[in-house]
Amino acid sequence: MQADATEKRMRELMLAALDGDAAAYRRLLAELTRYLRPWFARRLSASHASHAEDLVQETLLALHAKRSTYDRSRPFTAWLHAVAHHKFVDHVRRHAIRPTVHLDDDAPIFAFDDSAHAADRRDVDAVLTQVPERTADLIRQTRIEGASIAEAAARHGMSETAAKVSIHRGLKSLVRRFAGGSK
Amino acid sequence: MTDELIDRLTSDLKPTAPRALEKRLWLALALGLIGTLLVGPLVLDLAVGRPLGGAWGDSMFWGKLAYTIGLGSLGLLALPALSRPDQSRIWPLLFAGALAMLALIVGTLGWMQSDWAMPVLMGATALVCPWLIILTAAPLLAVLLGMMRSFAPASPTLAGLAAGLLSGGFGAASYAFYCGETSMMFMAVWYSLGIALTALLGAIIGRYLLRW
Repeated sequence: MQADATEKRMRELMLAALDGDAAAYRRLLAELTRYLRPWFARRLSASHASHAEDLVQETLLALHAKRSTYDRSRPFTAWLHAVAHHKFVDHVRRHAIRPTVHLDDDAPIFAFDDSAHAADRRDVDAVLTQVPERTADLIRQTRIEGASIAEAAARHGMSETAAKVSIHRGLKSLVRRFAGGSK
Repeated sequence: MTDELIDRLTSDLKPTAPRALEKRLWLALALGLIGTLLVGPLVLDLAVGRPLGGAWGDSMFWGKLAYTIGLGSLGLLALPALSRPDQSRIWPLLFAGALAMLALIVGTLGWMQSDWAMPVLMGATALVCPWLIILTAAPLLAVLLGMMRSFAPASPTLAGLAAGLLSGGFGAASYAFYCGETSMMFMAVWYSLGIALTALLGAIIGRYLLRW
């Protein structure tokens, strides 16, 4: 299970941090930020979405100040969930926000990982360095950002046909390079 | 901004010992008990005029000691779990309530056998007993609540209640050394009241002091 793997990794980082390992602590806090931000954001209505960052920081501060209350023999994610929930309730009360969370949307913190999209984007950027810059731009605009071929061609001051050919050649060379014969 | 915070927290990291929470609780208990035991000779003996060993040798002295230490221990049992955000342990508190009920029942039976004699219920010190128990328990409660500010209780009120029960029980045990009453009904009513008021005090203070 993915949740178990997350729990295992987080718990190891937390235990190392409790023993004074600053590098592990930094990694733990950075990773938690990525999980907590969407978790809080989904709990706040759109008009209060800006509070999510505050809540992430409050939770990290609480984790730091209250880390001695973590029982090493228990799951770390459950402890963190309790801290984050406490901070959320406290924040909502203090700002007199009426939260609206759909019942079926009460997924645990570790259900969604903000970093997946970021990782995908990084992969795309890395792959696109393999083709000429203009071709990479054209591919990004038409295939990812959803521009039409005519629009993308106009932005680069080229004819539609030339843009089509350029995109086609670029994709073909990428497929040759990364699909690697197998399949 | 969050990255700056992470930098700051990382540079502030100090190692945390295993079972740090329990160790702090033990330390607070030891320090607080010293204070509570000092109330005996300094306040009860010198100021109130109660020499040590009022009911010494009476079987009820041991009964009072067992009852109060039992209640205090139930508070101590609940305290570590109630000091954490992700745990809860209510049964010792319910058990304490049941124990007090049981004492009241047994006390009432004894009172009935003595034909509802008023002195059996009121003794000579009924009206000061609960207040002196609170006074005796106060140092322990103060040290405990002070130490618990660094904890993260899921419910500050319940954590304060457990601390109050612990302090009240051990405070009453310390008070028992200076109390000459020897009736079961007296203990069941007035000791229980003193301990319950201490627990209530802990819950009220904890509700505000233990917020995080």
